[in-house]
Amino acid sequence: MVNKEQILVDKEIPLLEHVRRSGKGFYITVSILTALVLWGIYAYLTQYRIGLGVTGLSRQIFWGVYITNFVFFIGISHAGTFISAVLRVVKAEWRRPISRLSELTTVFILFFGVGSVLIDLGRPDRMLYAIRYAHFRSPLLWDVCSIGTYLTVSSICLYLALIPDIALMRDLGMKKRQWLYEILSLGFTGTERQWHRLEKAILYVSILVIPVMITVHTVVSYVFAMTIQPMWHSAIFGPYFVAGALFSGVATVITIMAILRKVYHLEDYLKPIHFYNLGTLLLAMTLLWLYFTLGEYVTTLYGNEPSQMSIFWSKLTGQYAPLFWLHFALCFVIPFPILANPKTRTIKGTLIASISINIGMWLERFVIIVPTLTRQRIPIEGAIYIPTWVEWSILLGCLSFFSLLYVIFTKFFPIIPIWEIHEGRGKSIMEVRKRIQSYLPD
Amino acid sequence: MEISRRGFLKISGLTFLGLMAKPGWEVVSQIKPIEPSPAPNYFSGKKWAMAIDLRKCWEAQEGCKECLDVCHRIHNVPSIGYLKEEIKWIWTIPYEKAFPEHIHDFNQEEYKGKSVVVLCNQCDDPPCIRYCPTRATWKREDGIVMMDFHRCIGCRYCMAGCPYGSRSFNWRDPRPFIKKVNLEFPTRTKGVVEKCNFCEERLVQGLLPACVEACKEKALIFGDLNDPHSEIRRTLNGRHVLQRQPELGTKPKVFYIV
Repeated sequence: MVNKEQILVDKEIPLLEHVRRSGKGFYITVSILTALVLWGIYAYLTQYRIGLGVTGLSRQIFWGVYITNFVFFIGISHAGTFISAVLRVVKAEWRRPISRLSELTTVFILFFGVGSVLIDLGRPDRMLYAIRYAHFRSPLLWDVCSIGTYLTVSSICLYLALIPDIALMRDLGMKKRQWLYEILSLGFTGTERQWHRLEKAILYVSILVIPVMITVHTVVSYVFAMTIQPMWHSAIFGPYFVAGALFSGVATVITIMAILRKVYHLEDYLKPIHFYNLGTLLLAMTLLWLYFTLGEYVTTLYGNEPSQMSIFWSKLTGQYAPLFWLHFALCFVIPFPILANPKTRTIKGTLIASISINIGMWLERFVIIVPTLTRQRIPIEGAIYIPTWVEWSILLGCLSFFSLLYVIFTKFFPIIPIWEIHEGRGKSIMEVRKRIQSYLPD
Repeated sequence: MEISRRGFLKISGLTFLGLMAKPGWEVVSQIKPIEPSPAPNYFSGKKWAMAIDLRKCWEAQEGCKECLDVCHRIHNVPSIGYLKEEIKWIWTIPYEKAFPEHIHDFNQEEYKGKSVVVLCNQCDDPPCIRYCPTRATWKREDGIVMMDFHRCIGCRYCMAGCPYGSRSFNWRDPRPFIKKVNLEFPTRTKGVVEKCNFCEERLVQGLLPACVEACKEKALIFGDLNDPHSEIRRTLNGRHVLQRQPELGTKPKVFYIV
């Protein structure tokens, strides 16, 4: 038994290296991230003590950075499901090394999506009232149900695909953590029957999680679309938000891949082809995003309804024009040529495009949410929203906390699924050959 | 009897589901009783509304704010002192912003800049109450849109739902900003939403809303829409009256007479 494991491990050395060894870089990273998290917590405590008045929010613009974070983080969470579950179901073989890191992104970022709403509450001590006195006519309750289900199902997805690797870690014997792997591996020994059950379970959960994922950002968009505020009350918002979510999600996964590849020396596993393929996917998403954005703005413009138009022009030429055009440049003008040209669809190219898209999509959420609030149907002057240090610190704290969780995870479990690589090297090559043969005439 | 681990999990799962069936069903099937009103008999069948005679209001002395001041005083509305965290139950806005659809190039001179008193419209079909995740805001039998300051979690979704911007949020503890606390009415904590309540605490004592009582010009008229002989019905009868944004289908119960 141990022999077989040893051979496997010898072959995939770099995959366990980051679990076994922690260099100076690790401790420095963790210290910096912890400091930033503590700073974010300090900012939140300030807000908790004094009230939401410490933010830049006002009577008129009462939702800002926190709600933007909520939409943005929940959006990113779509990446995991999309890359791992969808690619698994359609049997895209190149998904193998990236499935876990994208699932992990989903699960961890969801906490911050939910957390952002809680941070935004005026009375966080009463947050459970939303369950105790649940009013299901409110779209916020739809979010609670949908995101709750999504978090559960995607955590199961992540965990199931971790079991064989946990078993491997257990068999390898890690002095201090043996007990942890012992419990988490659920007695998995790799018998044929266990593999059969596990594969079936992973497939079922992967299929189940896809419709749940679509409901998630649909109901997130409904928080806005269900109101009668100009440029929120739009039927296109459901699919528009889902497309934007996948767009920013794929971009985030590419960014994380590039970092992990560099830091953990995974060059042999996260190859240029993976970036190339994801880059192609991201290109498709860029165009889909452009299509929805044009659809949204062109219908508004042509309709020429006064209350809509005042918001429309505040985005295109008014107060929010710099942010609007910046987000358009970051979401389309910069990434499109990079991704459209196969020569620049390299690791560096897709990384630049992804970072641009991530910033652009955060801004997109912001310019969807905030301008509508400046002039509710009755225009009131003097609404200028400038986020304060508290809001920026909490955003930074959330991102740092997310990274910290990610780093800690990689110290316990391999970030690239060893068993999937192993399966890919052996069983799948045969399967793919058979599959291709089955497509062809006999 | 030999029980495998799998069998044990199955049995315990089924047992759990079985035990959950009754409480689960109760949660889903329970029909919540309507919140009791302070004096149910008094309010049953009533439908409170207000009419504001703008002509009379404009005839008043320049800078008359009697109605605004009395409301904010008796309801412990803090005067924060700056626009960003302002809290208001009743205030004035220029005519062209209250009724943008009623201003055009040829009546600008006459109407532009005239102040219009605005407050919560106490809509007959209030959008705000739909959005509240905890039912902290709801419509009472007599049509008043109520706020429960003890149940509000401060998500501000009702503010997004209100097309009139009638709701205010307590961005910080309001108590230090109240000049003289009226002990008859609750103060609020930081982090909850508040708005005009049509003086429901006065109605129950048989009094008129404070703003109506305070208006020397008698520009504010208050009463029961269900009573055909009430003053408000007589006032509205046969007149051309305005409501704010009636096209949104909210059915405001604050009417404006020009």
